[in-house]
Amino acid sequence: MDGWLRREDERLLTGAGRFVADLRVPACLDAVFVRSEVAHGVLREADCSAAREVPGVAGAWSAADLPDLPPMPLGEPAREWPALVEDRVRYPGEALAVVLGDDRYHAEDGAARVRTRIDPLPAVVTAQESAADTVRLFDGLSNVALRGEAGSPIDGEVWERAAVVVESDYRQQLLLPSPMECRTILCVPGGDRLTVWSGHQAPHRLRQDLAGLLDRPEESIRVVVPDTGGAFGSKSAVFPEFIVVAWLAVLLGRPVRWVEDRRESLLVATRGRGQDQHVRLAADAEGRLLAYELTVEADVGAYPHLGVAFPMQTAWMATGPYTTPKVHATVRSLLTNTMITYPYRGAGRPEATSPLERTMDVLARRLGLDPAELRRRNLIPPEAFPYRTPTGRTYDSGDHHAALDLALRTLGYDGWRAEQARRRADPDAFPIGIGLSCYVERSGGERGSLHEYVGVEAGDDGTVTARCGAASSGQSHATVFPALVAETLGVEPARVRLVEGDTDELPGGVGSFGSRSAQIDGAGLQHAAGLLIEEARERAARLWDLPVEETSWSDGAVHPVRGSAAMGLSELVKRTGPLRIDERYEADMAFPFGAHAAVVEVDPELGTVRVLQVVAVDDCGRALDPDVVRGQAFGSIVQGLGQALYEGVPFGDDGLPLLDGGLLDYLLPTYAEIPPIELGETHTPTPRTPLGAKGAGETGCIGTPPAIVNAVADALRLAHPERLQMPLTPDVVWRAAA
Amino acid sequence: MKPAAFDYLVPQTVAGAVDALAAGAQVLAGGQSLLLEMHLQRAHPALVADINRVPGLDTLTVVDGTLTVGALVRHKTFESPGAVPGPLGDLFARAVGYIAHPPIRARGTMTGNLAWAHPASEWCALAVALDAVVELRSTRGTREIPAEDYFLGPFQTARDPDELLTAVRYPLLAPDTGVAFTEHRRTGFSFAQVAVGAALTVREGVITGARIGLANCADRPLRAHNAERTLIGSEPSQPVFTAAGEAAAERDAAPVPEPYADVDYRRHVVAVLVARTLREAAPV
Repeated sequence: MDGWLRREDERLLTGAGRFVADLRVPACLDAVFVRSEVAHGVLREADCSAAREVPGVAGAWSAADLPDLPPMPLGEPAREWPALVEDRVRYPGEALAVVLGDDRYHAEDGAARVRTRIDPLPAVVTAQESAADTVRLFDGLSNVALRGEAGSPIDGEVWERAAVVVESDYRQQLLLPSPMECRTILCVPGGDRLTVWSGHQAPHRLRQDLAGLLDRPEESIRVVVPDTGGAFGSKSAVFPEFIVVAWLAVLLGRPVRWVEDRRESLLVATRGRGQDQHVRLAADAEGRLLAYELTVEADVGAYPHLGVAFPMQTAWMATGPYTTPKVHATVRSLLTNTMITYPYRGAGRPEATSPLERTMDVLARRLGLDPAELRRRNLIPPEAFPYRTPTGRTYDSGDHHAALDLALRTLGYDGWRAEQARRRADPDAFPIGIGLSCYVERSGGERGSLHEYVGVEAGDDGTVTARCGAASSGQSHATVFPALVAETLGVEPARVRLVEGDTDELPGGVGSFGSRSAQIDGAGLQHAAGLLIEEARERAARLWDLPVEETSWSDGAVHPVRGSAAMGLSELVKRTGPLRIDERYEADMAFPFGAHAAVVEVDPELGTVRVLQVVAVDDCGRALDPDVVRGQAFGSIVQGLGQALYEGVPFGDDGLPLLDGGLLDYLLPTYAEIPPIELGETHTPTPRTPLGAKGAGETGCIGTPPAIVNAVADALRLAHPERLQMPLTPDVVWRAAA
Repeated sequence: MKPAAFDYLVPQTVAGAVDALAAGAQVLAGGQSLLLEMHLQRAHPALVADINRVPGLDTLTVVDGTLTVGALVRHKTFESPGAVPGPLGDLFARAVGYIAHPPIRARGTMTGNLAWAHPASEWCALAVALDAVVELRSTRGTREIPAEDYFLGPFQTARDPDELLTAVRYPLLAPDTGVAFTEHRRTGFSFAQVAVGAALTVREGVITGARIGLANCADRPLRAHNAERTLIGSEPSQPVFTAAGEAAAERDAAPVPEPYADVDYRRHVVAVLVARTLREAAPV
């Protein structure tokens, strides 16, 4: 480890990382997609003949040239998503044709020669327009792709009898996950096998999907995940471009690679969030919450797919951290002429937390209560866990009051309130505001994905190999998991190596999403290491002719209870043969939680917001590696700042996103935007695994945005800050302040 | 994001560069705009003339109160206020920090900004405010154009395609000139929503000279003549600066709407920033 914080660091920080684009494969073709420049329309022509004449171009195909090309899986038959547009374009950038070249330069030259003609149709880019059904994405079918609810409808009397009812509308804007490395796939056919390299979160799922699409056995496909430059939820599916690349690689018997560039990513990578929300929150005169109602109109993009149901996550999590007795959430998923929405770091929980936490601050103002005090009166107390919410979740554990109190102490809440009062008395001073946000996160996954393959194997050379179905896209698995296995076995961490992200090396796997790796894979590896110890003791007991109870395990070796003999793992393997545990580990979902606070200074004349301080207290149960957890928290908070202040997708009247300037238009927070961030931790282990770890890493996206927005509303003393809709760009803040 | 095929020429003299332009070349100096446009396939030059080896273009000279900036002088040169004598150097140093970030400032050039003519360019706004003169050379000869006549619209200038922008000249500012530069933008390295540069001369308590340049307040860089006129002869004070800001916003600026900055907001920002910049240039 030699001074590096993580095992990955030396490789990644010295430029020795190997991403899909770095892999050298002889005779590899690069794929470039010809993309629609309209949002919605009828494709009249996609003529690739001129492209085929360009030197260095190996071939060019439209949908008409590939009649057997399979469509995207998981769609509805009536609303099929073809891998290349057949007759109808439904989102800007949708692929009309593909060109393969000796390299990307030649392929782009060819793509420029593909002739396309599209008759535009009116485009719908908001949930509201979609709901009207005046422009339909699929002729004869409604744009409503899903309706759902969580909890029960709330009786009208509850609202009438309440001392205070706050109603408000919020927009959770569309966001682009924007990993540093965009999507990648490299398909290498060889013999009767196909090797697929992809920066991906779920290699086994990708293998399964590709096997179905290509109509071949899963074992004939190997999916390998090399170094991957971030994912944030955007790399967990199969995509139209993946289907085309895999299909052509098999058809031509040649390696084909697609490396999505930033311009493509801005158009056709999956989006996050995208909800219009209406809330009602009722409380009695003392501020005890009586009822909460959340209505979600979700913009889910152009095709029904996995993401259509994700807004239900928001409905299930609508209760938040409070004891509100009645909660009802309804969801409509609406098709729009944009690339699909899909999980993006937080995935449904930011959309649940933000409307509730913003409304809590409005309620506090209406009641004349300090927002911290209002929250204290309603937070679920530690003795109430496991806590079943009206929206159907059973929270495993929590100590919300402790998290909030620590956040306020860390921030110096009273000191900032005093500074706020001082500034309010000084007409020349910029006002400051303090915003709070308490949240509940869900980690591990949903039913059906709460299991994982895990394995631990002892070698005859003293090494230990850990295997799991997770796939790192930057989460430090190679550091964290070997350390955990080493600790469980009592061996040096350097002796343990991790194998993941290769379907040939693993009997199965689910992948890394939903903050599940530490919680499920971690607990599973600990469990598997425990089984390995049991097996080792049994074998040693047989060798020594002792009852197993008369053996013990410590320091990576079996010891007889009496006597001084000891047998290490390598010797045991040499004498008794291979020692390997393979398990399918399953554990229930868990609910990390925390409290975030922010202080902002607002220049009301220009509308600029300067974040003076962010405090985040996150509780992920047992933190396996505190440095890694803090790194996750930090990055997530910065992405949360992005949603709060900078990121958004504006559309022109033609339904095209106004992002011609790339990342000069879609503004991600950079180093200059990072405020002072202070992290605090409480540790409430989940009782759902012996390890006690819950997911960490999505909490900044969940907790930080409402803290920032509440702070801005507080600075401006807005009684009803509906005009503060994210991102809080200077023009938005200026108008709200006016 | 790969450029279309192009030929690449490295002229060793200004004459060679000018010949290349006559043959249809586009000029590569810092490359911070051209290369991006080529990668986005919004520019498809058949021939690129890389002038980085042409001697003599990387110099700053001051002769008889006139500063001449050659075509290879990088943005970062101006980070030191001492690079240019007097308040002009101070003004350039205040402005240059708003140009992108350090790697871009190390490559990009001041004259490249003038040739590219992005409406948000800090240098273009200062050029019109400071009565800069642009020197253009072609096989047909050399001509000079005042900056205010040079900018014609977004990315449009009076430069003919075969002309090389060899230098830009500025009259130095008098030693008692007060200068300031402010910029409003969404993040630390995004383009200006509005930027304002000002140079004020106050003698015996009265404003005798005023230069105000506006970036991204119209389809081209502007000099705020109306605002300047409200200042001349007045004593510097907050109400005077506020009135100048309002004049700049209402009578000088011609804002173009863009996402997150519609016309009303942009006019408002012009008024606020002009007043703030003037106050900084001549503390009341």
